[in-house]
Amino acid sequence: MTAIATGARVFRLEDSPPHRCADASGGQREEALEGRAEHAAKTPVRPALGLAHISLTFGGVAALREVDLDVAEGEIRAVIGPNGAGKSSLLNIVSGLYRPDRGEVWFGERSFREVPTSKLAGLGVARTFQNLALFKGLSVFDNVLMGLAHRVRAGFLQQIVGSPLARRIEAENRAAAEEVIGFLHLTEVRDRLAGTLPYGVQKGVELARALVTRPKLLLLDEPFAGVTLAEKRELSQHVRNARDSFGTTIVLIEHDIGVVMGLSDRVAVLDYGRKIADGTPAQVRTDPAVIDAYLGVAHETDTEFEI
Amino acid sequence: MPTLISAKSNWFSSEALWIGLVIVAAYGIIPLAGTDYLLDAVLTPFLALSLAAVGLNVLTGYAGQVSLGSAAFLAVGAYAAYNLHLRFPALPLLIDLVLAGGVAAAIGIVFGLPSLRLRGFYLAVSTLAAQFFVQWALTKFSWFSNDNPSGVIDAPTLSIGGVAFTSPAERYVFTLTVVIVLTLLTLRLLRSQSGRNFIAVRDHEIAARVIGVPLLRTKLLAFAASSFLIGVAGVLWAFAYLRTVEPAGFNLDRSFQILFIIIIGGLASLRGSFIGAAFIVVFPLLLSRIGAALLGSVFDSGVLEMSQRIVIGGLIIVFLSAEPRGLIALWDRAWAAIRPANRSLLPS
Repeated sequence: MTAIATGARVFRLEDSPPHRCADASGGQREEALEGRAEHAAKTPVRPALGLAHISLTFGGVAALREVDLDVAEGEIRAVIGPNGAGKSSLLNIVSGLYRPDRGEVWFGERSFREVPTSKLAGLGVARTFQNLALFKGLSVFDNVLMGLAHRVRAGFLQQIVGSPLARRIEAENRAAAEEVIGFLHLTEVRDRLAGTLPYGVQKGVELARALVTRPKLLLLDEPFAGVTLAEKRELSQHVRNARDSFGTTIVLIEHDIGVVMGLSDRVAVLDYGRKIADGTPAQVRTDPAVIDAYLGVAHETDTEFEI
Repeated sequence: MPTLISAKSNWFSSEALWIGLVIVAAYGIIPLAGTDYLLDAVLTPFLALSLAAVGLNVLTGYAGQVSLGSAAFLAVGAYAAYNLHLRFPALPLLIDLVLAGGVAAAIGIVFGLPSLRLRGFYLAVSTLAAQFFVQWALTKFSWFSNDNPSGVIDAPTLSIGGVAFTSPAERYVFTLTVVIVLTLLTLRLLRSQSGRNFIAVRDHEIAARVIGVPLLRTKLLAFAASSFLIGVAGVLWAFAYLRTVEPAGFNLDRSFQILFIIIIGGLASLRGSFIGAAFIVVFPLLLSRIGAALLGSVFDSGVLEMSQRIVIGGLIIVFLSAEPRGLIALWDRAWAAIRPANRSLLPS
């Protein structure tokens, strides 16, 4: 199974090499995007994630209005916006926790009116939560192992007696969990209870739990909120590594503009439930609507966006 | 990495060693402390209630679903085994035992269905339905008690393959064996993916759902496994301990008793279930004996009885404020203080 996934990943990496130059300047990045668009025109491929005309209201208050969003395969896509702009609602729609009033969610070729949450992992989608959602009573290792719960096809009696199928799945899952724990440098806290760890480390554990499935699409809800600057750097490196090593498509919701600008390929900006801008970090940064709505008076001070 | 692996294997072997020691002691206690009173009135009910507490701990401690219907499942187990024995005399007793657990599991699943919508106190209140319904059904339909007007059943003799377990020591051995086997199987279940799913559902249900934990199956499995264990505990309670039971013996007080055992012993701990049961069952007896011996000439038995309850209530408050995670956590802390080198090797 791993071999197949690796094969697909290699194909994908070769398929669209330009956009993975993380250090490309804005101009080069635009060229890269155009190049990819041409490529896409030749072989029409649906984006890894597409949102079409998503509207959501809570008791008459519109949280999202006619939002469209497309996320290309292997892309790091940020969604930013002020508090209450509807960013988290957007992720909750994609993970099926909310049902939109209007609109559709596309995963590749499949579209959903309401995303079936229980099948999310099977569709290759993983997510983290804005406020930690770890299983406090389980060790770090078991938390990561939980990410693979949907792969355990053996019934509970087979698990008790330890049938060959149950033992094989358990061994595969343990190996995968060990690997991700090493990848995210969590080996030292492997056997600690998740609830006893510092906040930033818990964020890392949650990322590991999402990555252990090698998801095609990873949704990160404010992964850098409330962590120290050093942890922020480390986590953003992990996010980039996840894309580069596993070919994971990443949708990132974030408050911290600095991290977003340095990390993402494209940025969408939400304000009052509406998408007001969409483009490369360089485009978004200079968009007057964004500056008015979000960045306030921070004109012409590009340095502010760098870490 | 190599150090981790060796620590892990140490951990397992030290745990296996402890379990082995306890089992040897449990069987070895018979000839040593084998007064009939101790075996019959203390150890056998202690074991039966421990198994019931293990069952409730699976549901409440591990899977986080509060239940106030434990006594109902004790009753279901007891009456199911009685009827299986009565109506299918050809079935061996062990099969009756397993089937009675199965009947309790099936009813547990039915009463577990509300857990898909309700949680916390609201779920606890809905499990009261099981408590009242089962008691009502057993009293109302005399078929269950073979047309005994008051619903009382007399348990048959315990016998497996021609070997009868009649003396207090023999019934203790029977109970002990069943409890050990089922506790070890429960340990296996809790260490498997299903066990991790229980804790995941308890700690963060939404995250568990997003990850792909089958909520329906996990919750109903918790109810089924829990009810199975409590049902078998009910068979032991009725067949090995009391031998004559009536539906009123499985009332709400009994449900609360089992709930208190796991809260005082320690939620999400199998060892806690046993320590809690020891505290609730054995300690009052001990206290009344000591009280009678020391102060029996000064106060009458009614006063002693009341003061004994006050002492136990006070101790529960002291213990739980010292360690809300129960007696087992107190025990672990004490153990870690005595043997600092063992701090990391404690089984949970």
